[in-house]
Amino acid sequence: MNELKGLARAAQIYLDPQQRARELKAEGKKIAGYLCCYPPVEIMTALGYVPIRILGDMNEPITEADAYLPTVMCAFYRSILDVAMKGRYDFLDAFIGAHACDGAERVSYIWRSYLKSPCSFYLDVPHSNHAAAIDFFKVQLNYLKDELEKTSGCNFSQEALREAVKLYNKQRSLVRSLYKLNRQDPPLVSGSEMLQVMVSIMCIPAEEGNSLLEEVIEEVSNRSAGPGQKKGRILIWGSLIDNIAMTKLIEDCGLNIVIDDTAIGTRSFWVDVDETSDPFEGLAVRYLDKIVCPRTFRDTKGTRSEDLDNRFKYLKIMAKEWNVNGVYFNIIRNCDIHGYEIPEVRDYFEDIGIPVLVIEQDYSTTALEPLRTRFQAFAENIG
Amino acid sequence: MYTAGIDVGSMTTKVVLLKDNDWQSIIVPTGVSPRQAGREAFDRLLSGTGLKRNDIDYIVGTGYGRVSLDFIDKSITEITCHARGAHHLVEGTDMVIDIGGQDSKVIITNGKGKVVEFAMNDKCAAGTGRFLQVMATALGADVSELEELSKDAEPVDISNMCTVFAESEVVSLLAQGVSRERIIAGIHRSVARRVAAMAGRLGTGRLITFTGGVARNGGVVNFLARELKTKIITTPESQLAGALGAALLAKR
Repeated sequence: MNELKGLARAAQIYLDPQQRARELKAEGKKIAGYLCCYPPVEIMTALGYVPIRILGDMNEPITEADAYLPTVMCAFYRSILDVAMKGRYDFLDAFIGAHACDGAERVSYIWRSYLKSPCSFYLDVPHSNHAAAIDFFKVQLNYLKDELEKTSGCNFSQEALREAVKLYNKQRSLVRSLYKLNRQDPPLVSGSEMLQVMVSIMCIPAEEGNSLLEEVIEEVSNRSAGPGQKKGRILIWGSLIDNIAMTKLIEDCGLNIVIDDTAIGTRSFWVDVDETSDPFEGLAVRYLDKIVCPRTFRDTKGTRSEDLDNRFKYLKIMAKEWNVNGVYFNIIRNCDIHGYEIPEVRDYFEDIGIPVLVIEQDYSTTALEPLRTRFQAFAENIG
Repeated sequence: MYTAGIDVGSMTTKVVLLKDNDWQSIIVPTGVSPRQAGREAFDRLLSGTGLKRNDIDYIVGTGYGRVSLDFIDKSITEITCHARGAHHLVEGTDMVIDIGGQDSKVIITNGKGKVVEFAMNDKCAAGTGRFLQVMATALGADVSELEELSKDAEPVDISNMCTVFAESEVVSLLAQGVSRERIIAGIHRSVARRVAAMAGRLGTGRLITFTGGVARNGGVVNFLARELKTKIITTPESQLAGALGAALLAKR
């Protein structure tokens, strides 16, 4: 048994996020790897799969993937394919791709052709949240269930799915509780610690993740020395960060990361799944409509400022409740989804008087150092 | 009270020594050791004044080499320092365009020397002093002669933004018989266009001050004004804005 607990355990899992899944595989469990926030982990869990989030690796130079993907594509997805080509995800029993963005779509095709996980499923995620799109998505979720049922050897039951919904809603609630500890000044959890916890819970079974979250909450609630007070409190908006080299750089430059709207962060946990009588209804609405990612089109409403408010009000609420004095837009190079959204989100924050720092980064730890001056200058000027 | 600002840039090291509103300065080449350049420039400036290091109350380092200085009290980014220095040189500046040896920046300020927003190009030599230097070498000229050589020449289009490709382009333009003057004017316009595009993303300032070493090149200044369709202010001290800003911030 592992004796480490709380943050120390999270730091250990973070160092080799797939280790626990490989152990479980050796014990006879089936492992499903998935891309992005959109494939419902509840369905995988209800069918006996242990879901793990597929990550890239900022430390690994991209050498194999360039033969399959053009370099004008998002560096994160190129990295995912690269580490997969090098065998990191060979142990997966199921691969669940998703039409989250074009990068995820391409990787899904290539994965099916070349990596040949025993089960390979492509989840078609519509790009709007209209009622018809939600109905369509519900059908796609049923296809996912059918496919996983065929390969898992488990029979599907509504009851198991309802239980999984409850289990993950508990996880979401724990994640929200943990983030709430960062409303105070100084925050109780550093951005790097938070990231280690987020990566960990996405790569271990939900029950273990929930225990880990409970341990971390208890540990940091009682800590005397947390990250300490820095020059500014920031919110990170953008696709994702999955390496603490990035968060450490930001923190070294004098910024407290107190809250985020990113995919390896609140975006994957912020909203619960409603416990509807048909669980697929609650899942379809939560994943397609309630996850707010710029990959999904939302109807424009009223004037431009009303429209921006309709789309980004949740960010204003976060900024206020976590009392931030700056926002960092973390843009991974060639991420169209977030890159195209920059002017609108920037306008929105500027209208409410919160300064913004936009950096397009290369998703490579060797390319981080030149960014230091920008974070330092941001820290010098937002306080 | 004496304060000093030391701006260790990629090409030159600038030191400003400030007492009340009087200041003296020195500019030396950085060479291969930023640490040594910072130290020597500071000592040389002091030796002319009869002051000793201990007489200086506070020293702020800035520029890319700031981290290598071990005798300073504090390091502050060149972004914050240029904003402060430009405001001192041209009161009320609300946009600073700084083109240095290896990067270029556009800084929006509050009109009182404080940074509101900035954009920075530090990954690519295009739109920096380095671009001018590489081109000058390809044309057999010194970077300090470029302005004079290109006076009144009609710029030729340089289509490549990338320094390496642009160098080949310059060589083929020469082979086609295009005059050196027109090529240099084209190079100046290329730098100006690159930086103007970066400025455009942040909006336009009412009072734009151009700082950094490249501000000494009137050719780039003119094309920048043309691209941004507004007046661009430079002063003889533009290159010192970072060091001056550092010395001013050291007073607090």
